[in-house]
Amino acid sequence: MAKTRVRTKSAIARANRSVCLGRESKMASGRGHVNQEIKQHFATKEGCYRLLDLSVYSRPNKVPYNAQQCHPVRVSFVTVKDQGGCNDRIAFNVGRELYFYIYKGVRKMLITPSIVGPICRERYEAADLTKPLDKRLYKGTIPTCHDFNLLTRSAESLELLIGFSAGQVQLLDPVKHEVNKLFNEERLVDKTKVMCLKWIPGSENLFLVAHESGNMFVYNKEHPAGVGPPQYALMKQGPGYSIHSGKSKTTRNPVCKWTIGEGSINEFAFSPDCKHIATANQDGFLRIFDFDMQTLCGVMKSYFGGLKCVCWSPDGKYIVTGGEDDLVTVWSFFERRVIARGVGHQSWVQVVAFDPYTTSVSGRGGVDDSDEEEIEQNGVAPSQRASSVTPEDKNVTSYRFGSVGQDTHFMLWDLGEDVLRPQRPRGRSVRATISLSNSHITSTHSLSNGPISHDTNHSGSGNAVAPCPVSSFDAPKNLTQVHSLTISMESLVSTGNVSPGTVLCPRMEDVCILEPLVAKKVANERLTALSFREDCIVMACHEGFIRTWARPGKVVRCAPNGDSSLSEDDDTEDHNSDALPASPLSS
Amino acid sequence: MGANASQLEKEIGPHEFPQNEHYFGLVNFGNTCYCNSVLQALFFCRPFRERVLGYKPISKRKESLLTCLADLFANIASQKKKVGVLAPKKFVARLRKENELFDNYMQQDAHEFLNYLLNTIADLLQGERAKEKEKEKHSSTSSVSSKSSASSVGTTNGGSSIPNGKMEPTWVHDIFEGILTNETRCLCCETVSSKDESFLDLSVDVEQNTSITHCLRGFSSTETLCSEHKYFCETCCSKQEAQKRMRVKKLPKILALHLKRFKYMEQLQRYTKLSYRVVFPFELRLFNTSDDAINHGKLYDLVAVVIHCGSGPNRGHYITIVKSHGLWLLFDDDIVEKIEAQAIEEFYGLTSEIQKASESGYILFYEARG
Repeated sequence: MAKTRVRTKSAIARANRSVCLGRESKMASGRGHVNQEIKQHFATKEGCYRLLDLSVYSRPNKVPYNAQQCHPVRVSFVTVKDQGGCNDRIAFNVGRELYFYIYKGVRKMLITPSIVGPICRERYEAADLTKPLDKRLYKGTIPTCHDFNLLTRSAESLELLIGFSAGQVQLLDPVKHEVNKLFNEERLVDKTKVMCLKWIPGSENLFLVAHESGNMFVYNKEHPAGVGPPQYALMKQGPGYSIHSGKSKTTRNPVCKWTIGEGSINEFAFSPDCKHIATANQDGFLRIFDFDMQTLCGVMKSYFGGLKCVCWSPDGKYIVTGGEDDLVTVWSFFERRVIARGVGHQSWVQVVAFDPYTTSVSGRGGVDDSDEEEIEQNGVAPSQRASSVTPEDKNVTSYRFGSVGQDTHFMLWDLGEDVLRPQRPRGRSVRATISLSNSHITSTHSLSNGPISHDTNHSGSGNAVAPCPVSSFDAPKNLTQVHSLTISMESLVSTGNVSPGTVLCPRMEDVCILEPLVAKKVANERLTALSFREDCIVMACHEGFIRTWARPGKVVRCAPNGDSSLSEDDDTEDHNSDALPASPLSS
Repeated sequence: MGANASQLEKEIGPHEFPQNEHYFGLVNFGNTCYCNSVLQALFFCRPFRERVLGYKPISKRKESLLTCLADLFANIASQKKKVGVLAPKKFVARLRKENELFDNYMQQDAHEFLNYLLNTIADLLQGERAKEKEKEKHSSTSSVSSKSSASSVGTTNGGSSIPNGKMEPTWVHDIFEGILTNETRCLCCETVSSKDESFLDLSVDVEQNTSITHCLRGFSSTETLCSEHKYFCETCCSKQEAQKRMRVKKLPKILALHLKRFKYMEQLQRYTKLSYRVVFPFELRLFNTSDDAINHGKLYDLVAVVIHCGSGPNRGHYITIVKSHGLWLLFDDDIVEKIEAQAIEEFYGLTSEIQKASESGYILFYEARG
């Protein structure tokens, strides 16, 4: 018996020895602490971005919202023509509450001495959290997402759509307080959480609501709810999706129903030309549909896990997604394939967004975009404007996009010519053939020295004609030539063939690896929203703080006896100050 | 209990209830939740369950931990009812008899128990095989030396240090065993030497607000060996600076990941729990595989999670969530509940550093697809 005991004990010791890896690794434990400080500024090639710590929006009491299982804080912006000069409005949800404020952003306000006293003559006016334009507290259901109608907006009236955790949708006017409509009030359409909702671009009345169930519904704000559960008739069906229209003699909501993939539709995004819609699903698939034709025209599978977010490049050429593989994935709309993956996040990627203001044209300067660009950010682009932005018109050489994640980190990524050049469509053909994209699997190269981009036998061949030197094991999948895009997609999706090495999900070594140009911890809590604006970047975290980061040069140096620490800019001591301990942001 | 069980059956629905599947809670005999939680997780690791159910001991009379486990699994699988509660009496008694570590009513570490159980089963199987061989030898009066197979181990420089290297792998190894390769590159002569180690599960350090993917990357990060930690390079025949990294060379069928949530605090002289929020996806691929790894893009599906509830290793509770036929179930000793897949979010951990008590994932079981 004693002998047995000795043996079994050693079995434990032995097993433990063979598995405990992190313990002796100094790197792993040390690295965790380096990034623990919250950053207040970061430098890029265009200059230094600074956190405006007086321009933090939150609940009026500024107390961090601290529920472990709450719904992400989302932010919606709208710009109106206001006599007073404050044109921007912000709406955000925190817990059971929804707030609507005037958004001041980086704007500098002169505070007259008579009010504040002689000490503080000129400074950035803090966000006045005591005076929300509107505030709602919900019981029994929790707001999850919202969107402003950009076609009907005015300073006097706004249409704000709000989705809820129990599936309902509310339309209200936070300015006039006259409109207040409920959709799916009886929860007969869908009982699950609203994940994403948006006004359909170009329509005053129609909006699209995506649910956790995997269904999306088109509603008309003028249609009545109807009696009883809605009836549907199948309109269209394809690999992994089906579309039903409402089957009712009287007009009622919903107008139609899209069922996509398995599990939640986490986010959708309309293309800048409003023709296409991209959906990021919990089943790990990115799907791109022609919204009017209701046809599937592109599919991608995450490296693994669900996709959480999706966005389009301002010119509609590229789609970026992020998700549970901790990666940001760049997918070329014209070639229908993954062109790059970004490695850097330490947890799931929650939001991705292109920065239309730092996207370079012909290698120099930023795109000179008017205020209209902001509207595109909000999801709706005036179609006549967007259609003029064709890939050939603007010779975009570099795209900039950002991502925020559950790792509390904010990252900026550049999609430069080195990544874009190899697959730029030749001639004027809009849709590259599959054979082109297949051949490009061979011509990949790694851009980084990151931990996972090891040299492979594929590296930098550059020659699209050369056969791919894959092992015989993977060869059949890789070399499958498919002539019709739809057939290829159907066969790929229906067989669930998501093994690496396919067009749907290429292997890590078969696509470019991007490294972030900026990677900063910017909050204590998971980040939940990211928005690029003309003069600033806005981020929100789970605690309900919405922070504004001024772009380089957007903060003007103030009077000598002013509060200079808040307004200095264009200094070059960024790298030193990076090491400074972070000051409390919510003070 | 009975009411709870029948409610589960109702909740799943008669048509949706998987055929030939049984969801049985296990009675707690006083702090045996560490055992119950691991047993439930293993029961829903299909390859493991099938092997245990198919186990035929050579001697019927001799009771072992494996025969007790096989009896328990068979008992669950042969129940007439679909849901209910069983008492793993024989198994727990045997466990307490075999190992003094578990012979008390104290709270035990579920990971330690998992390790002990898998190693014990492997040892039993190897012992049985050795006996069988001996029998064959006796009957055939073979002249082959029994030591000949052992002598071939450890001659090459890439020689494996598998603890059971002398023995043939058992089905426990077949299911859970993976191989890590420890690559050391001498910074002087650039020679890379690698050493393999086998594992039945991986223990990973956890950090706040990270994913399991990131934690797995953590141990594969390159470490530079310098100053007093210099590495003896056999090519240079001297101590040199070197870079070391650990990568997965062989991916197991079932990847068991242990999150090192219990950390010894020097100041407090006791273990404390790291309730960090570490997210784990339903689907996983490894990034830290070696170049020569076979099928390194293997896709894994989450099948079971042992969850620790509470504030420290010696207090608290273990529960398990498992995926069975597309359903997610929560096993809390004798209670079995159906949960929504989204409810898994509750078991990632806490983002607040102040709270220590949490219900957080402790051992993750991922099964290779296909």
